[in-house]
Amino acid sequence: MATLAQQDHPKYPPGDLAIWIFILAELAVFAIFFASYAFTRMNHVELFNQFQQQLDRDAALINTLALITGSYFVVRAVAAIREGASQICLRWLLAALGMGCLFLVVKSAEYSHHFSAGINLSTNSFYMFYLSLTFFHFMHVIMGMVILAAVALKARRGGYSIEDHTGVETGAAYWHMVDLVWLILFPLVYVMH
Amino acid sequence: MDRESTFSLRRCTWIWLIIMALTLITYSINRLGLSGLEITLGILLLALIKGHLIGAYFMGLNPVQGFWRWPVTIWLLLLGLLITIAFVLAEG
Amino acid sequence: MQYQSQMVAKPYFIAAIGLFILQILFGLIMGLQYVMGDFLFPEIPFNVARMVHTNALIIWLLMGFMGAAYYLVPEESETELFSPRLALITFWVFLGAAGLTVLGYLLVPYSTLAEITGNSILPTMGREFLEQPTITKIGIVIVALAFLFNIGMTVLKGRKTAITLVLLIGLLGLAVLFLFSFYNPDNLVLDKYFWWWVVHLWVEGGWELILGSILAFVLIKVTGVDREVIEKWLYIIIAMALISGIIGTGHHYFWIGVPEYWQWWGSIFSALEPLPFLMMTLFAFNMVKNRRRNHPNKAAVMWALGTTVLAFFGAGVWGFMHTLAPVNYYTHGSQLTAAHGHLAFFGAYAMIVLTIISYAMPLLRGRKAANSALSQKLEIWSFLLMSSSMVLITLLLTTAGVKQIMLQRMGEHPLPFMQVQEQLAIYFWLREGSGMLFLIGLIIYVASFFVGNSEPEAEVAA
Repeated sequence: MATLAQQDHPKYPPGDLAIWIFILAELAVFAIFFASYAFTRMNHVELFNQFQQQLDRDAALINTLALITGSYFVVRAVAAIREGASQICLRWLLAALGMGCLFLVVKSAEYSHHFSAGINLSTNSFYMFYLSLTFFHFMHVIMGMVILAAVALKARRGGYSIEDHTGVETGAAYWHMVDLVWLILFPLVYVMH
Repeated sequence: MDRESTFSLRRCTWIWLIIMALTLITYSINRLGLSGLEITLGILLLALIKGHLIGAYFMGLNPVQGFWRWPVTIWLLLLGLLITIAFVLAEG
Repeated sequence: MQYQSQMVAKPYFIAAIGLFILQILFGLIMGLQYVMGDFLFPEIPFNVARMVHTNALIIWLLMGFMGAAYYLVPEESETELFSPRLALITFWVFLGAAGLTVLGYLLVPYSTLAEITGNSILPTMGREFLEQPTITKIGIVIVALAFLFNIGMTVLKGRKTAITLVLLIGLLGLAVLFLFSFYNPDNLVLDKYFWWWVVHLWVEGGWELILGSILAFVLIKVTGVDREVIEKWLYIIIAMALISGIIGTGHHYFWIGVPEYWQWWGSIFSALEPLPFLMMTLFAFNMVKNRRRNHPNKAAVMWALGTTVLAFFGAGVWGFMHTLAPVNYYTHGSQLTAAHGHLAFFGAYAMIVLTIISYAMPLLRGRKAANSALSQKLEIWSFLLMSSSMVLITLLLTTAGVKQIMLQRMGEHPLPFMQVQEQLAIYFWLREGSGMLFLIGLIIYVASFFVGNSEPEAEVAA
């Protein structure tokens, strides 16, 4: 295979380069948000520590495990399509979507708990950041699921093959980014004090 | 054709288990009520390692050469640095 | 030009250039009034000159966008326009309404204009940029609906491309968001909300889609790069523009009386607004670098590249300068805002309209691909002169703005407004001089349409 040397040390990451430019932009937003959280906390340490204790860390743990597992399932989906196994790829994608659903359900339960307690963006700085950050991430989970669902639909039609499966890798890259961001968000907002 | 050098499913399975384990460690530290700056920064380090594993192996950046090898790593390092500074200053 | 009905774009482009000239003349008048307060008083007071300057800008950009749509949609959809006759009728209605409105501004006091146009029945007048009498606003809505119907039907019956899709969403946004200008709540905070939802969501939402699609169309034509590549970039750019632009509306909420979290949301998301513009610059230069052919219309290529660079600096960099809440606390409503406004509007929107005019006009006037070498030379000169004098205006206003902020808003003993204005006079004089240079550039630009018509078309050097 002529492209073997290229495959060993490719110049570009898997998936469409355009999604990577988008991922960089997304990472930049989250980085600014995380840093803003950390530096605002500096001036309100007591407040942040106090209200961080009110969060449901069991729910956050379940969600972290769900996203990591979802990411792993997507890795399996990509591995399957690289062997040309469309149907297996589809099954792993559906499993990943299931993990996404689990995340959304758990997170929604957390939100409904907060809202019924009358907490909103203006309650205090901690909740402002907590709600903004997690909700922004929540929207990204939905966005990632929409992308994965689109990829799954095409996979079901047999739209991908050993030679042409950039679409699967593109969707996978975005989904991993959603996971990556949460892996920082979880300790920063729920645990570190 | 040897795909092992670029992608290995077995390795990814291990990485998945490692990240799950690291998450449980983070959670347990919190449940045990351990606190202090060293513990907090340790938790941050664990998170950065997890992020690196996702970037390098799940996102497939490890074998990439040149510019695109680095964005996720640099993102993690920069973020780690900023958060560390903020948490250290908050102590003092 | 492949379709006969594309010809309807021509009157739109001509009217756009006409209103552009009007805008610049009134800009020069108010520029002089900055330093000679009673110049042309009482015939044309400052507030009237300003209204004509900004309203003419909006109308000529809308004219340009409509002309662009009438030109590129038939070609993209590979079909004749749904109704060229409707396009011409709406053109005359639009031009008539615009002309009458400007005459109204100039001939009678604003309050009289409000009275005779029945503003009391549905009050919409008096808000910055949306000063038009209610009947003019209704006229704009009717024109916009007829235009959207015409373009929409053409897209529906023909080939659907990413470019027409993005353009249509942008134009739809433009029309729908304008409806907010009819709601004039008594509550000042609500009033500001609705006002920004027109003003901000136009220029940092819908219009960016229009900009992106026109740019993509011209780049496909002049570079011959694969449509797939260009469309992919277009999608990424508009996704970024919408995410940062829509939540970035928050940078206008800092001091209007809304909850504090908007300072965070507004700062963070608007800090990202330069990104889509940066991507647009990279996109345009990359496409031209990887071009498959050399297009004989060098002027159009130059406008296309120029618009991305000046849009990035004007909208992106100059916007970022004062978009973070702690900075904006000192800078809002200063000459720095004016600096940003000038370079952003010229770079992003005036220049994209000039780009499509530059590309399409030779074809509409019967050339095969491009104007003669001589008229292109003039056009390129006008490009250089207008761009550099606009950059100069921006730098002078920036300097004036920084000085104004320091004297008027910082330090132990801030000075009163008028005292500061006197100290800025030198910058305003230099700005007026740069404005004259701009006018010379504009005259050369207009001349390029009349010079060199009898000469043969420019050809690509072998």
